[in-house]
Amino acid sequence: MPLVAAVACPHTPQLLMRPDTEDRALVLRVHAAYARVKQLLSDARPDAICLIAGDHIEGFFLNAVPAFAVAVGTSVAGHFGPYDYRFAVHEPLARAIVEQGIEREFDLLYTQDVPLDYAFYVPLHFAMPAPPVPIVPLYVNVYLPPQPTPRRCYAWGRALRAILDARPERVALVASGGMSHYPGTDRYASPDFEWDRAMLATLVAGRGAQTARLTGEELDKAGNVELRTWITLLGAVGDAKAEVLCYEPSWHHGNAMVTWPVR
Amino acid sequence: MNAHYFFPPADAYALNRCLFRLKSEPAYRRRFVADPEAAMSEASLDAPRRAALTAFDRDRLVSLGAHPYLVFMADLRLKVERAPAAFEQF
Repeated sequence: MPLVAAVACPHTPQLLMRPDTEDRALVLRVHAAYARVKQLLSDARPDAICLIAGDHIEGFFLNAVPAFAVAVGTSVAGHFGPYDYRFAVHEPLARAIVEQGIEREFDLLYTQDVPLDYAFYVPLHFAMPAPPVPIVPLYVNVYLPPQPTPRRCYAWGRALRAILDARPERVALVASGGMSHYPGTDRYASPDFEWDRAMLATLVAGRGAQTARLTGEELDKAGNVELRTWITLLGAVGDAKAEVLCYEPSWHHGNAMVTWPVR
Repeated sequence: MNAHYFFPPADAYALNRCLFRLKSEPAYRRRFVADPEAAMSEASLDAPRRAALTAFDRDRLVSLGAHPYLVFMADLRLKVERAPAAFEQF
């Protein structure tokens, strides 16, 4: 069945737990954009949400670093401060993605036991429809070099779309990440908002396929290592023209929410 | 240009493992807050890395091979642990 929704959104934990370093009004504007995404996902009536996110060295440490991975358990759980999350996994769909992904020569790692990263549960905290639907956590390595190339991410997204189109489920595809930020580096307070805005213009013009030609070095330089999750989604939606739901640059992060038509 | 996120050097594994545990293991984080010396003794850190972690000096930690993101999030999680009331919850 064709996709029923395609969205990209941020996941910074300061949206969940706000220290006084963060502009409260900006945080609330991002929450309002999440509310639009929640409505969009609810209206799409998905049977499952396939969530493409970059692991923040939470599920996978230096003992095993997969380029692409799929969680195929019955459920996944994560914790942040006082927040405890558990989401049902759509096991048949997750298993089909692994099996058919391997068949299509993407050598995916799968796991039935992985702590869920906040890149997954922050967007779901704000945008999961009620009642909740099961998810399929799809991992892209963004923080531990060498990361997969943008070209490979885009190709995996194309393969993923072909797999999903042949499935009976109504699937919403959500990419979690970005935009420009440099956590833990000396550029933390200087994100590259110009790069973000140029990228958003490219996506609005329906030229998302161009992202496959970016290099890993460009993404690192622009504070956009996490854009690999968007690029994977772009492989699935092709040259559909993006609609920007919000772009809210904070002192350290370009918070962007974007949707693409999928019908 | 050096990458912001570089290949983690193998000799910094113990340091990165310690930062990972501070970030991701609540029980270890609580032990560190209560008694940092005892918690670091579990981590097999050499003297320079132990000193950098004691000072929680980002630049020194990164120069000794710490993954920048692990430094960032271990620090944030320690702040949440020490002063949860300083964060507005949504």
